[in-house]
Amino acid sequence: MTIERAELHDAAQKAFPADQLKPSREESWPLIAEMGWLLLPLSEDAGGLGLGRDAAAAIHFELGRVLSTAPLIPALLAIEALGAAEELPDQAAWIERATGGELITLNLLPGEVDVKTSGSIWLSGTLPCVPDADLASHVLVIAKGIAALVPLDSEHVSVSERRLWDESRRLCDVTLNGHHVDPHLVLARGDAAHDIANRLHGELQLALAADCLGGASAALDMTVEYLKTRKQFDRPLAMFQALKHRCADLKTQVVAAEALLWKRATDEDATVTDLGALKALASDVYRMVAEEAIQLHGGIGLTEEHNCHLFMKRAMLNLQLGGSLDLWRERAGRQALAAYAE
Amino acid sequence: MSDDTHLEELRGQVRDWLKAHAPHGWREAYKSMSHAEFADAQRAWFRTLVEGGYAVPHWPAEWPGGGRSLAEQKVIYEEMARADTPRLLLSFVSTYHAASTFLECGTEEQKARYLPAILKGETWCQGFSEPNAGSDLAALKTRAERKGDVYVVNGQKVWSTMAQYADKCLLLARTNSEGPKQAGITFLLMDMKAKGVSVRPINQIQGDQEFCEMFLDDVEIPVSDRVGEENKGWSVAQATLSSERGLTLMELTYKMRGALSRVAEVIRRNGLEEDRGVLRDFGHLVARADSACAIADRFLQNRIDGSEGPYDASIVKNTYSRVLREYSLLGTRLGGIDEQYRAPIVYGDLTTGNWMADFMNSYAWTIAGGSEEVQRNIISERMLEMQREPKGWVL
Repeated sequence: MTIERAELHDAAQKAFPADQLKPSREESWPLIAEMGWLLLPLSEDAGGLGLGRDAAAAIHFELGRVLSTAPLIPALLAIEALGAAEELPDQAAWIERATGGELITLNLLPGEVDVKTSGSIWLSGTLPCVPDADLASHVLVIAKGIAALVPLDSEHVSVSERRLWDESRRLCDVTLNGHHVDPHLVLARGDAAHDIANRLHGELQLALAADCLGGASAALDMTVEYLKTRKQFDRPLAMFQALKHRCADLKTQVVAAEALLWKRATDEDATVTDLGALKALASDVYRMVAEEAIQLHGGIGLTEEHNCHLFMKRAMLNLQLGGSLDLWRERAGRQALAAYAE
Repeated sequence: MSDDTHLEELRGQVRDWLKAHAPHGWREAYKSMSHAEFADAQRAWFRTLVEGGYAVPHWPAEWPGGGRSLAEQKVIYEEMARADTPRLLLSFVSTYHAASTFLECGTEEQKARYLPAILKGETWCQGFSEPNAGSDLAALKTRAERKGDVYVVNGQKVWSTMAQYADKCLLLARTNSEGPKQAGITFLLMDMKAKGVSVRPINQIQGDQEFCEMFLDDVEIPVSDRVGEENKGWSVAQATLSSERGLTLMELTYKMRGALSRVAEVIRRNGLEEDRGVLRDFGHLVARADSACAIADRFLQNRIDGSEGPYDASIVKNTYSRVLREYSLLGTRLGGIDEQYRAPIVYGDLTTGNWMADFMNSYAWTIAGGSEEVQRNIISERMLEMQREPKGWVL
């Protein structure tokens, strides 16, 4: 681990203590801005910290541990896009606004957006899984050769929040009904827009994988701690080998997936599919741990007052965000098959 | 010269050397060999590596080919995995277990006598496990009684890798039955040609004969061939068993990653390239193999940094051995009925593309060298600090 990354883990653990799960979004968001984490995706030239992308992953990992309710994942992706938006007038001003805490959100699953171009550009369609649109000023839309900011208070934009099982996140459907794109809000067109989309897609996988493995570590720690404390048959549950071995297997899965996370986070050559395969693995491990956490807690794990269900619901959501397990496994299989054809 | 430049130079040297010296087409050749011919081929490959200076990179610098840093050893094994060279099964116990026993616990005389002989091809096997002392090794019952200048040994050993070809044996025997079971064990060096030693290869389910059982009937071992003090053999055995931490697993893991090409071959051969279920299973296996490589790397880096945990090796072993099982199972499944017809095996290799044989051989890694269950105990008790069961339960 680099010193920089170790310091980030440390700072995040202090700002978001492990015993305060699901910290309030309204208090978390200004704190995140204050910590300077919104600068993480930017190069030094663009006013950022010039750290590797493992730095952002470290923060996502720690925020995953505490089931953060703040929209850091879409925010950092949007800021990364702004950093690459050479066509955007006032690029520097936009970066300043976004890194200062003005939230620009985006969809965490692909949407069907129709682009009509005749002099001006009109957008129609629905963007699913847009986090915290109620808190955001704009949504970043990337569709068919265009990347643009859309103000959420526009006349032809409607936002509807859809209640999730996972109450640590808030996702909205954003519907564009023939929204006229302001040329001053265009980030990129053509190949440049495509490049941004591709980059963000990869970064999203990495961020989600980090969130998953932070959550999986925390859920496993919590479970092991419970087994050490809870007594039945005059001994701690942790003493039963049947339970020990299950925890050992979960730990092995988490540690191995985490090793791959940090390896890929610093691998400049990792493809989007490599990162998607990582996210598939990480989310599957998270699901495994969260599923077992409830079983190993017994009845208390089924109660709303206990935290087990929070991890399980977030794990299940993470399996879908950014593309499903099946989607990424299939793509990873195709990529490997093609690689061995050479 | 920076470390990185130095390592890249070494990588180039090893790669060039392997191009010129690695046995060509060994997989096909191994398939048509008798087991004894396989042992000869192993001896020849070991000799070549000794001559090239790559057989014992982990030995101290005063030995030819020794004195390599862990980072250098990693490069050497990565290149061997890349070149897909045969695994050194026959000489493994000699260069790792025997050598580290002598280096850490042997007398000067033992070092001078046995270490050079290893480089000349003297082969060691290990006489540790017994029919009733597997995971609970310290329960071993083979007796050694001191009579003047010799120990007289009686008992039975099992799972001794390649013992049918070994010249010498690292032997654990009981010299005291009183007190804690660990405190009555003595570490002896046994000549396999001594009177009273008989060896019987064990036929494994896939047709290999990698392991043997040994019967010891009044075998005499000179007292000078004892390592450490009498009844202090358990701590010597710890040195033996911790001799190879990381590098072997790293090499095997990378070999398995490379061998994913064999799964791709089966997919193509059976026209499954567009079967989405198959692609998903393959993609999942690739990610699992990648994570096994990542954890093997991380573990080795911990050792290089001096931040190794007492459970690191258990995590790496359980990850590798499980992924190896998944790998061989996927191949067996995708290969269809063809895999149910017997085909020649490649002795000593784990990822051969003879899927049923690979599947059966994968148990070598979930059972041998500390079973998966023993590793789970280590992970849960030492890493997760879950409470141990009270000692001294009597049934």
